Amino acid sequence: MWAYIIRRILATIPVMAIVALFVFSLLYLSPGDPAAVIAGDQATPDDVERIRASLGLDRPYLVRFGAWTWDILRGDLGTSIFTNLPVSTMIQQRIEPTLSLMIVTLILAVTIAIPMGVVAAWKQGTTIDRCVMAFAVLGFSVPVFVVGYVLAYVFALELDWLPVQGYTPISNGFFPWMENLILPAVALGGVYIALIARITRASMLEVLSQDYVRTARAKGAAQPSILFVHALKNAAVPIVTIIGIGFAGLIGGAVVTESVFAIPGLGRLTVDAILRRDYPVIQGVILLFSFAYVLVNLLVDLSYTLFDPRIRY
Amino acid sequence: MLISRRAGLGGAAAILAAPRLGSAQLASRTLRFLPQANLASLDPVWSTATIVRNHGLMIYDLLYGLDSNYEARPQMAAGHEISADGLTWNIRLRDGLKFHDGEPVRARDCVASILRWSKRDVLGSRLVALGEEVSAPDDQTIRIRLKKPWPGLAWALGKPSANICAIMPERVAQTDPFTQINDPTGSGPFRFRRDLFRPGDVAIYERFDGYVPRSEPTDFMTGAKQVHFDRVEWRVMPDPATAGAALQNNEGDWLESPLTDLLPLLRRNRDIEVGVINPAGNMGVLRFNFLHKPFDDLAVRRSILSAVNQRDFMDAAIGTDRALSVVPCGVFTPGTPLANDAGLEVLSGRRDLDAAKAALRASSYDGRRIAMMSATDMPVIQNLSEVAADLLRRVGFNIDFPAMDWGTQIQRRTNRGPVEQGGWSVFCTTWEGLDVSVPGSHQPLRGNGAQAWSGWPTMPRLEALREQWFDAADQASAKRIAEEIQRVAWEEVPFIPLGLVRPPQAWRRSITGIVRGGPALFWGVRRA
Repeated sequence: MWAYIIRRILATIPVMAIVALFVFSLLYLSPGDPAAVIAGDQATPDDVERIRASLGLDRPYLVRFGAWTWDILRGDLGTSIFTNLPVSTMIQQRIEPTLSLMIVTLILAVTIAIPMGVVAAWKQGTTIDRCVMAFAVLGFSVPVFVVGYVLAYVFALELDWLPVQGYTPISNGFFPWMENLILPAVALGGVYIALIARITRASMLEVLSQDYVRTARAKGAAQPSILFVHALKNAAVPIVTIIGIGFAGLIGGAVVTESVFAIPGLGRLTVDAILRRDYPVIQGVILLFSFAYVLVNLLVDLSYTLFDPRIRY
Repeated sequence: MLISRRAGLGGAAAILAAPRLGSAQLASRTLRFLPQANLASLDPVWSTATIVRNHGLMIYDLLYGLDSNYEARPQMAAGHEISADGLTWNIRLRDGLKFHDGEPVRARDCVASILRWSKRDVLGSRLVALGEEVSAPDDQTIRIRLKKPWPGLAWALGKPSANICAIMPERVAQTDPFTQINDPTGSGPFRFRRDLFRPGDVAIYERFDGYVPRSEPTDFMTGAKQVHFDRVEWRVMPDPATAGAALQNNEGDWLESPLTDLLPLLRRNRDIEVGVINPAGNMGVLRFNFLHKPFDDLAVRRSILSAVNQRDFMDAAIGTDRALSVVPCGVFTPGTPLANDAGLEVLSGRRDLDAAKAALRASSYDGRRIAMMSATDMPVIQNLSEVAADLLRRVGFNIDFPAMDWGTQIQRRTNRGPVEQGGWSVFCTTWEGLDVSVPGSHQPLRGNGAQAWSGWPTMPRLEALREQWFDAADQASAKRIAEEIQRVAWEEVPFIPLGLVRPPQAWRRSITGIVRGGPALFWGVRRA
């Protein structure tokens, strides 16, 4: 097991190197120039060139890539072209809101979706099943920003129960923190509730048709015990996999949700940086996201052993 | 007194959180401003972004300021003396001026600031060309010696449009003008809290108690800059609909750039006022590339004039509310001293699409593909571009209208090659009204070839008239020159004005004393 974990962690190094090369090259080749953005409308071409030179953007590709890689190896993600702040500081400022949003969304999605999927499988073909599936279709179909605006209108503007926007750090108290996260998490969670509920239902339907479930029923085991103890554990591997895949989707979804609810997270940092062509920030954030994704995949793989003793690493 | 449900629900929690009562008191002394963009950089000389300029006007004071008639008046300066030959200015500083670190403002700080600014600003470059000496003979006096008289020097030092001549400590102002400063120590009525700055989220300013306001009443950028809030928070909200909802929900006091579609909703809210505080607004501009066919041909450029309906452009840009736009609009900002109607009938007379088509057919245009750039992430510019693209198609141009973001467009603009080599033919943009209110800072009117604004026209007549304007002895002669410039502009068509957009702002009625005349300013504002 430990050897496997170490092997997997070591395997992240070439993955991260390829991501770094890819991201750097893509940004180098993409149109747009931060110096032109800084110089603005009135600038002469000479002004733009002087700014490019002061930012080191006039250096050849290999020189710039080499310098950046060397900095990364020393743990330095660079400095934002626009804010003059270290990229690591900017990420530090933004990571808590995004992590909070992701965690609350995942908790919300898992606690709602898994019972929904289990019940839908149990009541297959009934109105309950159809309602769950209809909700799942709705969850997939309605864009996050539409759900976000509707929730903000109803629960903030009309009912005045929750704030429209913003983020309060958890250090300011659990309730203020939660108050700002409820609407974004519900808006973002809709898709994941739908996704996890559907997978849970499909996986449970397969397990519920197995002989050992019939045997458990024949032995008089209680229905909740059959569903949540015997069947769900055996249906868990695909569910955990989809939760892991959903993590990648959460990163993308957070970009939209953070904009709609004005949450100062990594998603917005990324969009702002892309629009301004703030290369060091884009590169730093994408590296972080890649690392997080690799890590989550590792955790998902390791979690398989908890649900299926036949899986060994 | 109405108590909101949320406030009621929060009541119990508030009892448990007694220390937060202090934060409520702080809230009443805090102005929550929702700016039009994210404040990313902090140097108003290095960056020309409007939001950075607005930041600059908060934390830096200027030697001069413009009043509501757009005339320059002393601000940090106590006054000045000009030698009889008009070549030497001795500007005296007011007593008691301090930087945010407590150090006194000295003339040498101002000299360093002027020199840094002069290397980046369009009017500053005139100082570079004309200046023989910018020095500080003593701590209170700035001496500027010129090669020829420049009556508009005070205006240039006091204009609030980018780049502003922000007065910084000498140690900061000695930074290369093409490198961003790191130290936000300012001279203005607000102190920037860099330690609390979270780009993309919040920028916090506190009243600077060491600031010495002038004794005259506030008049736009001049007079007393009295601060009535302990703290001003700029809370960045990238989504304008969310920002509008935040204002309605009392999560913000002042929204700088409400979505036009939301204006009826905001106006219906009894707690919110919508108004125009910047009558100089932004001028819509259609700009050509003069280096390549077809717009290198005067006949092609002129063919479009008779088809341009400025009202169509303004309705698309800002909606049909007539208070939010001005047409007809000449080459100078309507409502400012040099605005005139010389030859304006080319845009205000009967619109004639058939005449435009015939004029284009008679020109050298051979049906080649032209590239019109548009920034899809700038709503007003995108809307102007949509109307322009449609107009150009109807006139008979074969138009390519690629979608791109602002960052891409502004880079592509620097490409002087033909369309086939990634160049461009035409684009729409907006110019800050104060910039295009006088020939000196009016970049679309420049005709200095390779050094001109994107498009690079060579128009010696316009350049000569600009020089004459700089030398104008009084406002009457300046106005005569402005009329002549406008007549020449219709003949040579360096650009086509599309109308003046006056973007509205929205604020809660509990906020009073908003200073009118230009960008959002934070002195004079108070909570009722």
